[in-house]
Amino acid sequence: MSSTTIYPARRIITMNAHQPFASHVAVRDGRVLGVGSLAELEGWGPYTLDRSFESLVLLPGFVEGHSHAYEGGVWKFPYVGFFDRRSPDGAVSPGLKNIEAVVSRLRDIERGMTDAGQPLLAWGFDPIYFGGRRMNAADLDQVSTTRPVLVIHSNFHVLNVNSPVLAKAGIDHSTNVHGIVKDSAGKPTGELQEIAAKYMAYRASGIDLAGVLSDEEAVWRFARVAQLSGVTTATDLHNELPESTVAGYRRASASEDFPIRLLPAFGAIALPVDEGVRKLKALMQHNNDRLRFGLVKIVTDGSIQGLSARMRWPGYYNGLPNGVWNTGPDDIDRLLQAYHDAGFQVHIHTNGDEASEVALDAVERALARTPRRDHRHTLQHCQMADAAQFRRMAALGMCVNLFANHLFYWGDIHYSQTLGPERANRMDACATALRTGVPFAIHCDAPVTPIGPLFTAWCAVNRLTASGRTLGESEQIAPADALRAVTLGAAQTLKLDDEIGSIEVGKRADFAVLHEDPLEVPPTALKDVRVWGTVLGGRVFEAPAA
Amino acid sequence: MRRLPLTVIGGFLGAGKTTLLNRLLRHAGGRRFAVLVNDFGAIDIDSRLVVAHGGDTISLANGCICCGIGDSLVLALMRVLEKVDVLDHVVVEASGVADPARIAELALIEPLLARDGVLVLADATSVREREADRYVGDTIRRQLDGADLLILNKADLLSDAQLADVATWLRQRAPGLRLVPASHAEVPIEALFGLAAGDAPARDAPPRSPAANDATPDGPPIARWSFTSRGPVDRAALLAALRALPDSVLRAKGIVRFADAPRQRGVVHMVGRRIDVSADGPWGIADLRSDLVLLGTPDMPDAAELDGLFAGVAPAVSKSASW
Ligand SMILES: [Zn+2]
Ligand SMILES: [Zn+2]
Repeated sequence: MSSTTIYPARRIITMNAHQPFASHVAVRDGRVLGVGSLAELEGWGPYTLDRSFESLVLLPGFVEGHSHAYEGGVWKFPYVGFFDRRSPDGAVSPGLKNIEAVVSRLRDIERGMTDAGQPLLAWGFDPIYFGGRRMNAADLDQVSTTRPVLVIHSNFHVLNVNSPVLAKAGIDHSTNVHGIVKDSAGKPTGELQEIAAKYMAYRASGIDLAGVLSDEEAVWRFARVAQLSGVTTATDLHNELPESTVAGYRRASASEDFPIRLLPAFGAIALPVDEGVRKLKALMQHNNDRLRFGLVKIVTDGSIQGLSARMRWPGYYNGLPNGVWNTGPDDIDRLLQAYHDAGFQVHIHTNGDEASEVALDAVERALARTPRRDHRHTLQHCQMADAAQFRRMAALGMCVNLFANHLFYWGDIHYSQTLGPERANRMDACATALRTGVPFAIHCDAPVTPIGPLFTAWCAVNRLTASGRTLGESEQIAPADALRAVTLGAAQTLKLDDEIGSIEVGKRADFAVLHEDPLEVPPTALKDVRVWGTVLGGRVFEAPAA
Repeated sequence: MRRLPLTVIGGFLGAGKTTLLNRLLRHAGGRRFAVLVNDFGAIDIDSRLVVAHGGDTISLANGCICCGIGDSLVLALMRVLEKVDVLDHVVVEASGVADPARIAELALIEPLLARDGVLVLADATSVREREADRYVGDTIRRQLDGADLLILNKADLLSDAQLADVATWLRQRAPGLRLVPASHAEVPIEALFGLAAGDAPARDAPPRSPAANDATPDGPPIARWSFTSRGPVDRAALLAALRALPDSVLRAKGIVRFADAPRQRGVVHMVGRRIDVSADGPWGIADLRSDLVLLGTPDMPDAAELDGLFAGVAPAVSKSASW
């Protein structure tokens, strides 16, 4: 007979309405055998009492509904962002507060490199906090005038390079290419944007960057960094799923030590639909506890801060032209219909409200052609939706996953430049989702922002920007609602709420183990609650102390 | 260094991009194309021509390869550049909502590529409606604005009057546009891509593969006119003459000795409305002679008219035309 372990805890926050709080949880075969008092659980028979969590607080393991395994990939390279960020080994990579600090950090790394030709690639850089000063090639030439040096910005759409990279690509004052930034004298500054940036990052890095970003090691690092923040289930929410990546997922997740359940989403544009459907069905044959295929992703527009989101009238607050479609309305219709008809759940990236409108129309048409209950197609990001769009989501049976971390990281820019005060104050409208009854999650989109559901919940609760402005008190939600959004709410958007997302009998024994009680700390301190570790299917993963 | 010409084919869904690519793969004329496509399944290749089919690449007996773009054009292009030694020309099919001119700019930061042309297809029966669409109108406008040459496809579905109407409207909204009407994307492939031996961009003329021959493949006929001079060429007069060419001239290429830079080999490259003039180093031991070739549809002006147009450019030695 399998053994039973009963864990007493300071408090268990279950997300189960019948029994929101409890003192003990019993675990058998990796699942929750029961929740209640010790006396109530003793009826299940012999048990071992494990007091490891006696002074700690248990929550359902956090569910990150929108992240990318690239988070693990980029940690192969040095982080040079403005904010402190925890790396997969648990150490904190300290934030660099000015360009000189970035240069000096890179110079230290460069000194330690042995192969002279090997490029130096770093990521996470964000000059929006540097009072207008941009990095240029001369800055990076202080790192090296011979080795290619490339610094990728936190939005992953902009890149700074040093002179050797410019020279090798033949970029000079005569190069007239959109996205190559020039100074007032017409000289390229070393900053590259959008497709030019992406091209140069891959071209000049001189390594199989795509491979390195999603190999087995990357998946491991992603899982570790997620686990450190209390996550037990995470998505890799857009992947072409080439064989090499799938093999990496499989090998990593086959290990008992792999600390998360991983849900990759297939990028629908990668293959003709019939082939895509066939591929996904074949992959799903090998689904297991820790690796689940079946999600589909469609990317409609770009990003708000990248000025590439598709917006409805009146468009960008600073008057710049509307953004661009990654997938046009006709293709959105076609892809959505095909995967809808084949029974899949589709996650649709929409940042701007016009993109959300097109996606809502597409779902409405798909349902008219092929009625289907409980499809739970989910709008991802959905940062600009107004109340009417939320009402449509509710009516159409959709879910939404809001990008709460944006409020902090780009809220000031949205307020002053991209959206303007009115729309910035209602962006990522969690309270509207609650009021209209749309099942919702909140997310980090790692590596765009760091993975950390308690921080994400803090954003939804406080709506504070990096400069300290409160963006729209009317869209703030209570800590309990925010914690639900990173557990059961997110599970619902992934159609896994029957299995994970709450601590109740029959569900998987997936817990986030916390030092402080997130419902007892002041709401402004939610992000500072410390994560002791996690439990995944009954297996305990203690995180190294930060 | 040898640079591969990069052509980008743009246009909205249903405008005929795949039809054009299929025609290109059939009429490659001995040049080894890498064609990057959005939808593999839509490419219609005679299975007898396929020599290898591996994952996202099909290799053809004529030396061409056809590659799927998947979800990243940048990565697909990078993979193709690994095969640079066995290729002569790269063609990218832009997605229906992409801005093909932006994609073509990658050739300006990639030393292995030379920007050849941006060909945009538009469906003559629906382009006006699309341009007015609230969701994609601005996307269509960006494509039209970025076109070196606009292929107004499905012309057979309109009456002459309707077609003239659409063409007038297009010219009004995009002044300077070069436009060629077509049905089933039947445009002289050799003229679009410079397939014949002397028609390739001279600075990177590929080694001819043994299978190549200069027989005109089937398809619409091509018109050709050329000009040779041993005298110095007046730069401004040449540019003016090129700009004055009618839409039926699809491509021009030349090696030119300009009066203002007689020691430099000047390279003239024109696709549709875009004219690039660059210096390609000293003449060296090469014959001090300017050559210019125009390629176009059968509607191209006759030799007498073209002779007249280029009369002021340089003292001509010989001109020839063929249809
Ligand atoms: Zn996204
Ligand atoms: Zn994402």
